Amino acid sequence: MSTIVYAARRIVTMNPSQPFATHVAVRDGRILGAGSLDSLKGWGKFETDERFADKVILPGFVEGHSHAYEGGVWKFPYVGYFDRTSPEGKRSPGLKTLEEVVAALAAYEKTLPRDGSTLFAWGFDPIYFTGRRMELADLDKVSTERPVLVLHSNFHVLNANTPVFAKANITRHTNVHGIVKDARGEPTGELQENTAKFLAYRATGFDLAGVLSDEEATWRFARVAQLAGVTTATDLHNPLPDSTVEGYLKASASADFPIRLLPAFAGASVPTAQAIPRLKELMRKNNDKLRFQLVKLVTDGSIQGLSARMRWPGYYDGTPNGVWNVGPDELDRMVLDYHRAGFQVHIHTNGDEASEVAIEAVEKALATAPRWDHRHTLQHAQMADAGQFRRLKALGMCANLFANHLFYWGDIHYAKTLGPERAERMDACGTALSLGVPFAVHCDAPITPIGPLFSAWCAVNRLTASGRTLGEAEKIPVADALRAITLGAAYTLKLDEELGSIDVGKRADFAILDDDPLTVAPEKLKDVGVWGTVLGGKIFEAPRS
Amino acid sequence: MTAPIPFTVIGGFLGAGKTTLLNQLLADTAGRRFAVLVNDFGALDIDGKLIAKHGGDTIALANGCVCCTIGDSLVETVLKLLDGPQRFDHIVVEASGVADPGRIADLGVLDERLVRDGVVVVVDAANVRERAADRRVGDTVLRQLQAADLIVLNKVDLAEDLAVLRCFLSTHATAPVLEGSHCAVPSDLLFGLDRRGASGKPSPANSFRSWSYSWPEPVDRAALLDVLQDATVLRGKGIVRFRDSPDRRSVVHQVGKRVDITDGGPWSDTDESQLVLLGVRPVLGSL
Ligand SMILES: [Zn+2]
Ligand SMILES: [Zn+2]
Repeated sequence: MSTIVYAARRIVTMNPSQPFATHVAVRDGRILGAGSLDSLKGWGKFETDERFADKVILPGFVEGHSHAYEGGVWKFPYVGYFDRTSPEGKRSPGLKTLEEVVAALAAYEKTLPRDGSTLFAWGFDPIYFTGRRMELADLDKVSTERPVLVLHSNFHVLNANTPVFAKANITRHTNVHGIVKDARGEPTGELQENTAKFLAYRATGFDLAGVLSDEEATWRFARVAQLAGVTTATDLHNPLPDSTVEGYLKASASADFPIRLLPAFAGASVPTAQAIPRLKELMRKNNDKLRFQLVKLVTDGSIQGLSARMRWPGYYDGTPNGVWNVGPDELDRMVLDYHRAGFQVHIHTNGDEASEVAIEAVEKALATAPRWDHRHTLQHAQMADAGQFRRLKALGMCANLFANHLFYWGDIHYAKTLGPERAERMDACGTALSLGVPFAVHCDAPITPIGPLFSAWCAVNRLTASGRTLGEAEKIPVADALRAITLGAAYTLKLDEELGSIDVGKRADFAILDDDPLTVAPEKLKDVGVWGTVLGGKIFEAPRS
Repeated sequence: MTAPIPFTVIGGFLGAGKTTLLNQLLADTAGRRFAVLVNDFGALDIDGKLIAKHGGDTIALANGCVCCTIGDSLVETVLKLLDGPQRFDHIVVEASGVADPGRIADLGVLDERLVRDGVVVVVDAANVRERAADRRVGDTVLRQLQAADLIVLNKVDLAEDLAVLRCFLSTHATAPVLEGSHCAVPSDLLFGLDRRGASGKPSPANSFRSWSYSWPEPVDRAALLDVLQDATVLRGKGIVRFRDSPDRRSVVHQVGKRVDITDGGPWSDTDESQLVLLGVRPVLGSL
């Protein structure tokens, strides 16, 4: 029962009765106390550890909406537009033109064994490219023998080369939605719908789902989260097949596993009558670093994927309304079933019609089965307006806002999908804050890279990739943004009494920063270095690139 | 290689009667082994005596049919079925209430062991117009109607104004419409069941008939398409020698409004064109 007291340049506690401290005492993986060295002396014998003396300690960051697939994709080369850091801490520079992408792939191809195996790459993000789209011929420059598959950053669109199309027998005569064809009726190399993509995966024998969720992927996910200062992360939609559960149990049992993982059960993947007992069964396997307790339901698609369900007047550029994954009636029924069974439901809603339907599903469930402190949470809620936030507040709901969208897709939303007014109020952290709706901000990795300080930076500065400020009025102060990535996010996961602030009795989960996020210029918030983390008293130093 | 397995999708909004339709199919399969993929067993009404084995996400029936829940991935459920030891004569998928059944029917091209059959959309006569006007689900309902190869207009006994409803359907869909209540429409038409001689259940009111044709001489393509596109012809199946490609076997497959003609290899001298049509009344004087 040893006690260690860590000294720091400053400790930002998120505990309102003592917002700042210089020392934190840790015993048995938990916080024994924070304050000055003097104030901690009464707890008995201790050792002091000065290694963080010039660092700033925050509660470990909580990523309320990410996916463990983030770990899986790093097995493969990243070819996106923006710089991105691998689980090993290596920085992949962004590729700014189609030619750069092809050149990078061709160079990578040379490093692969000459066995005809499939080359898979991910993160391709052509929306900022000018000129034509990627075609078969581009990837034929990478190889005319080896199958080449390039998945876009939205995880929705896939490009392939001629060998893939030949193996899959995709021709001008293949009548499947999502095989993009040119004016002459010939396939261009782009595949957009599940069936079309599956034709390519199947022909190449490439099992994407398999490699994305094996045990190794879980470890990579944990590492890439740890590099960003995260100590608790969600895998926010998983049908949880036995193989995945097995991987999670194994990984989380290891003392070296650097995060607490919260998988959310994909609530529509099986009928609720089967799901509820299964989830209850899974909860018996919970341990310190693995927590089954969340349910996720997905209502609509995504705004940039042109599949969000919007209220009038819909898409700015006239694109027809998106599609329901789970429609209004089915959502009512599922929310009620999970609500009755005592679960907290996280509902993916991008468009404002989807948010409306989700809010009403909770409203109806509450009328049928009143329940306090349910904290049902809208995930993304990107288009929610002030009226919807007032309803969230009235119903006791939370919101986890997709702040990273402002940077990555803000320009597209402004110009094409939402138009100026709705783009300026999207991911309305300012409204949530002023109305008192409990909220978090998130990355939705691997859609955007995991990095709570970056998400907080987005909420504070609301800058798009082109440098436009998107909605001055919705900016929030740095301190509130930091709360949203710690205690705020913990609240949306019902973990706020256990972690999320530096307070007596809570878990000793810390983010160790090189600088003080409260004193750096707000526009530098994303550049504050992360030295590493502490999880349950165990130190995890991040590798330095 | 054995003949590919027809792949049928049943679409339609929640409560329209998709499950009723499937219950009827399973109760009277005309001796064919169906694999029926549903979202939830709960609604299926399978006679306990019929159940041979209940194993979690699969129910095996004594008549050789099997029901599976779809789970997280329809593609994987279908492939597992194809790779499994059991052989089926027909695969039927129940689409979710908000799904576009046309997209699901795409899976029919996924594997050469499958052939896309029809998209049957079940419509609730009592409330389809109200649903179609709903700002949240209206576009979903219309998308389903457009995707249909065949429409089953169910619960006509509950429809307030059938004439208006028929007019509504003809403006929003091009598929032929079968009317009934409690989904009492001939499943032979929907699934192309072949009951040579032996009669199944007595035919309901809007009984249908079948016609078989054979021609020794090559057939004019346009004339044949004209016949197939007649609204009263609901199913067609055959191998035809067209005048414009007399050396090739053209395989004709029709479900409702959808006609697929694919190449079936070289023609041998002794073969004759064969065509079987199912429809609701005789229209075939022109041939
Ligand atoms: Zn989502
Ligand atoms: Zn997500």
